[in-house]
Amino acid sequence: MGQLSLQTVTKSFGTIDVVKGVSLDVVEGEFMVFVGPSGCGKSTLLRMIAGLEHTTAGDIVIDGVRVNDMAPVDRGIAMVFQSYALYPHMTVFENIAFPLRVEGLAEAQVRDKVGAAARILHLEDRLQQKPGNLSGGQRQRVAIGRAIVRAPEIFLFDEPLSNLDAALRADMRIELTRLHKQLGATMIYVTHDQIEAMTMADRIVVLHDGYIAQVGAPLELYHTPQTLFVAGFIGNPRMNVLPVTCVGVDATGVTVDLEGQHLHVPVTVPAAARAGLPGQRLSLGIRPEHIALAQGAAADGTAHLRVTPSVIEHLGQQTIGYATDDTAVAGDGGEAVSFCFVLPGTQSIRPDLPVALAFATDDCHLFDAQGRAFARRIDMAGLTLPPMADPATGG
Amino acid sequence: MSDPAITGTYVPAKPAKTKTQVAPRARRASTRAMIDRYSVTEYVMIYAGIALFLFFMLAPFVEGFLVSLKPLSQLFSTPYSFWPEGGSFEAYRTMWVRIPYFGLYIFNSLLIATVSTVIVLILVVPAAYAFARFRFRGMALVLGAFLAVSMFSGAVLLIPLFRLMRTLGLLNTYWAMIIPGAAFLIPSAIWLLRTYMMRIPPELNEAAYMDGASQFYTFRRVILPIARPGIVVVAIMTFIGAYAQQFIFALTFNSKTEYMPLPVGLFAFFGKQEVIWNELMAASFVGIAPALVIIFVLQRHLVGGLTAGAVK
Ligand SMILES: Nc1ncnc2c1ncn2[C@@H]1O[C@H](COP(=O)(O)OP(=O)(O)O)[C@@H](O)[C@H]1O
Ligand SMILES: [Mg+2]
Repeated sequence: MGQLSLQTVTKSFGTIDVVKGVSLDVVEGEFMVFVGPSGCGKSTLLRMIAGLEHTTAGDIVIDGVRVNDMAPVDRGIAMVFQSYALYPHMTVFENIAFPLRVEGLAEAQVRDKVGAAARILHLEDRLQQKPGNLSGGQRQRVAIGRAIVRAPEIFLFDEPLSNLDAALRADMRIELTRLHKQLGATMIYVTHDQIEAMTMADRIVVLHDGYIAQVGAPLELYHTPQTLFVAGFIGNPRMNVLPVTCVGVDATGVTVDLEGQHLHVPVTVPAAARAGLPGQRLSLGIRPEHIALAQGAAADGTAHLRVTPSVIEHLGQQTIGYATDDTAVAGDGGEAVSFCFVLPGTQSIRPDLPVALAFATDDCHLFDAQGRAFARRIDMAGLTLPPMADPATGG
Repeated sequence: MSDPAITGTYVPAKPAKTKTQVAPRARRASTRAMIDRYSVTEYVMIYAGIALFLFFMLAPFVEGFLVSLKPLSQLFSTPYSFWPEGGSFEAYRTMWVRIPYFGLYIFNSLLIATVSTVIVLILVVPAAYAFARFRFRGMALVLGAFLAVSMFSGAVLLIPLFRLMRTLGLLNTYWAMIIPGAAFLIPSAIWLLRTYMMRIPPELNEAAYMDGASQFYTFRRVILPIARPGIVVVAIMTFIGAYAQQFIFALTFNSKTEYMPLPVGLFAFFGKQEVIWNELMAASFVGIAPALVIIFVLQRHLVGGLTAGAVK
């Protein structure tokens, strides 16, 4: 059990609407990540699911039961806070045992359960220490221990890794994924970090200003973002957006004008919408990692750009160039836009010298004036993971 | 310096000369953080300031103690000598003879101060928690009223208080000294403890709520232990306050010798003609000794950093 369903859930603080009608189904055992910029209402939504915050409107349903007015424990939910929220005067053992003490469990059972949780989280040696003597990662594990000891059906995490340094964060990501496999419980994880979202999620919910911008598997969001917002939020460095003008539409795609080049972008435009399109301003999206150094003359299906990067980062594994507003490529209307490209390996390019770049039109995304994406004509099967084979029927 | 990114040449930064002018004693104090290092002049000024301050604080005590050792005749000798000649602890014995009730006075003082402190704590700890954690209508008003009340001392309100005590039939009982004493100590205690409790992260309440704990369970098992240093500070302040205040209330609301606290009892040393200074001083020192012991014991519970590791 651990199936969660949100039905047009709304939250207002006074006159300010923070969550504006969110509907979502979370499957049992799923690792669901809520991602979005700071202040978009992620924590508020999570706190409503937890039962810490009253729901202004809409229903929260867990395993078929409406839980809006139930206390957190009755919902079968445990939560890990961003700030750990450990009880500083208690030992690690007592911190983890706290929910069991509240329940009034017998001492022997408390010992068993805390011992089991400590084993899962590698905290056996720390049980008699106080939280003040632990490192950040250990504190976070204690906080997780306090959540798992009650064996809840749903775990909520509110940016649990954001107080840790980068290396520890990477370790804890892997550990949380392992924990999810081990426990098989539903997990809802809030973060503003798209890398955490991409690496851990079964499905990602992108929140924007209190609305769901898009829900989908990580690679689905990466390859077929439905809005400019999602396109910019998923992927790092963020997608480049170049202003273009539509010059033609047919069943195979849209032809746009970028600095005098005519590019054919393979997207599907509904027949009814085609007539009004030519002449309109559109946005062409291309991810930095899909850009290469131009080789030879422009060929069909590739676009060429001369860019003067002002900063070059040599990472060894990659070379990243940034053209900021004043040195940027000239947009189609003459206005300057910023631009970023990621080249494999170490490239001998220097800042403030122009480089010739190229990218395939097949890799491009196209958005209309309202920021909505045209559906790309790509074979998703080749770009995303196949659905997991059912071990019972497979092989 | 040219921008290495533009010229393409990398200019390594030269290691800075390590011989810099730190304080002369820097090598000995080298484990100190830079911000904690002072020059010799600064040290001299700091210690001079401390010495001056301590002198003003402690001089009366020293003089009082020396007086308690001197025979009475020597107190009025000219020229006045600070050091007792033929000093003895005789006054510490004779004072018990002059005031047979002395032990009882000390007991009364401690009883009044202790009961006042207990009453204040019982009322103030939950009140401070409520003011720190909950938002309710009229909260600012009530807090403001407490602040206003704490600006009065009991002395200003003696006459109305006397009528109140008389109406309640509390005159000439311990309660006449305990209740007004406690009442006037509550407002500042609430303010003090509320400030302390507001620093306890509210996430701890939320975490406990998520774990199924009731408000009361959370208060008892999470908030109270963390607030302990704050509660001890309030207890010490209240105890000292109650000890100091009881004189005025005892003088006005109580006329029974057997209920008198120490400060009133000390009046017996003020004779018709003369003041028995040496015994008065001896009695003062003996009288405050139990209170000092209690404060020292309480102070041992003043451990800092109790919230370390709670959040972040
Ligand atoms: N208790 C509150 N009262 C008023 N506004 C709040 C409250 N909690 C959150 N907000 C507002 O709601 C918005 C979303 O907050 P939050 O859910 O914490 O965002 P995030 O996505 O960063 O977690 C913010 O603009 C915040 O100011
Ligand atoms: Mg948040």
